[in-house]
Amino acid sequence: MIKKLQRYWQLWIKLTLDSFQTSLSSRFGAVLFMAGKLLRFTFFLIFLFTILAKTKALGQYTAAQAVLFYLTFTIVDTITQLFFREVYRFRPLVVSGDFDLILVKPINPLFRPLVGGADPLDLLMLIPYLVVFTISLVPLTPFITFAHVAGYLILILNSVFIAAGFHILVLAMAIITTEIDHTIMIYRDLTSMGRVPIDIYHDWLRSFLTYIMPVGLMMTFPVKAFLGLLSPSMITLTLIVSVVFLIVCYRIWTWSLTKYSSASS
Amino acid sequence: MHPVVDHKQGMSGQNPKLYLQIFKNTWSEIMTYRVNFLFWRIRMVMQMLVVYFLWNAFYANRTALFGYSREMMLTYVLLISIVRTIVLSTTTVDIGNKINQGDLSNYLVKPICFVCFYFSRDMADKLLNLICGIFEVGIFILILNPPLAFQPDLFVTSTFLVAAGIGAVLYFYFSLLIGFIGFWSTEVWAPRFLSLTIMEFFAGTLFPLDILPQSLYTISQVLPFHYFIYFPIKVYLGQLTQTEILAGLTVSVGWVILLLLLTRYIWSKGLKIYQAEGK
Repeated sequence: MIKKLQRYWQLWIKLTLDSFQTSLSSRFGAVLFMAGKLLRFTFFLIFLFTILAKTKALGQYTAAQAVLFYLTFTIVDTITQLFFREVYRFRPLVVSGDFDLILVKPINPLFRPLVGGADPLDLLMLIPYLVVFTISLVPLTPFITFAHVAGYLILILNSVFIAAGFHILVLAMAIITTEIDHTIMIYRDLTSMGRVPIDIYHDWLRSFLTYIMPVGLMMTFPVKAFLGLLSPSMITLTLIVSVVFLIVCYRIWTWSLTKYSSASS
Repeated sequence: MHPVVDHKQGMSGQNPKLYLQIFKNTWSEIMTYRVNFLFWRIRMVMQMLVVYFLWNAFYANRTALFGYSREMMLTYVLLISIVRTIVLSTTTVDIGNKINQGDLSNYLVKPICFVCFYFSRDMADKLLNLICGIFEVGIFILILNPPLAFQPDLFVTSTFLVAAGIGAVLYFYFSLLIGFIGFWSTEVWAPRFLSLTIMEFFAGTLFPLDILPQSLYTISQVLPFHYFIYFPIKVYLGQLTQTEILAGLTVSVGWVILLLLLTRYIWSKGLKIYQAEGK
């Protein structure tokens, strides 16, 4: 088992280095992409500050707390894109039949499409996001405890696992129906609801975002743990729900593989 | 190798029937990939829901914010979905790749106006998206019955449609110009991503621009994006005086002329260096 993990780790490092070289081969494009991401982040922050300057609060949360929700969303979203960027390039492999070339290799067929192309731009983008995040913690410093920080970090890690589940679903969809271009963007639109705490939405929407499509568990719960609004039993339940979600997604993926037709190969 | 082309080629068309056929073909093409289109519309509905529920939450326990009543803001938000279909639906996003891959040659050797070809495709795409957008918003209103501000004045409503139409032409030329970057660079998606990010913010696709700090609002006023979404909806909401509407329409028409001339200029410059690379 350890040997197997070591082999996958080495493979991931190799694929990641290759991916970094590819992404940075066009510095002009890389600079424009990063400028776009930075502007998108800044624009929403301006919007949020504009609103909060007037309302002073967002639902039950203070302005400083509301900003923390957005920053956490941004960090989770960026980490997710950093690791799972290859998912965006999967559909052409299925349509062309080139997925065959991955299936015949002696590795898990999910490995390459899911984590085989980390994005260096997102790694670089994490730097400014983490700087702003750290600054945003200043007004909350008196309330920060070790237990809350630990809960936050555990749930952030949990968010990456939920995101992995969503991305596995997207990969499965690409195999089941080769027609769809937009599945990954639907995921992005869905998670964008987590830019603000999901508590501000209607009851039915909040339930949907918590229990059906666990965007709330991904984006809102880590911050709630950080603010001490989530009990240890709730954190445990969140982890259990996430594991179940991930298992279900993986099952759908293995089922979808049986539907792969190798068309056009 | 430089293909032998007239540098004014592709900028004017004479046969309306041809472009009507392109319009029909575009509908057939979209209908061939129905599931794909359905998922595209699901994305649009989700974007509408995100913005709607966000603003709805901001108005909890409030009747007015930034000078907008709850009815007016929710109307603005729902109208974004409709105006988006008229203005921002486009098929021109693949032009940069067509230039890079040499596929542009296929158009240059045909007796067809390249810009009119894409304009016909855009019209088809916009009409189909508009029908779906109206249907979706209608269903949404029926189910949730949100408080909305309806415009009773037919003249104002007509002016709103004219403003949205001008916005559509403006965006068409803007998108063409971004696509023409392909003449000079193989990196066509990054400039589009950056321009879309700036455009979406300054077009008012998330909020009315006049809630922004004065300095940012002033910047937005000198950009063409101001006339894509924000201006038409402000006209509909009846928040502009007749003088302001007239001034807005005049400036937006000025932008159309400017972008049209710029498009012609960039197209002729681009064709001079086009090498049909990739073919």
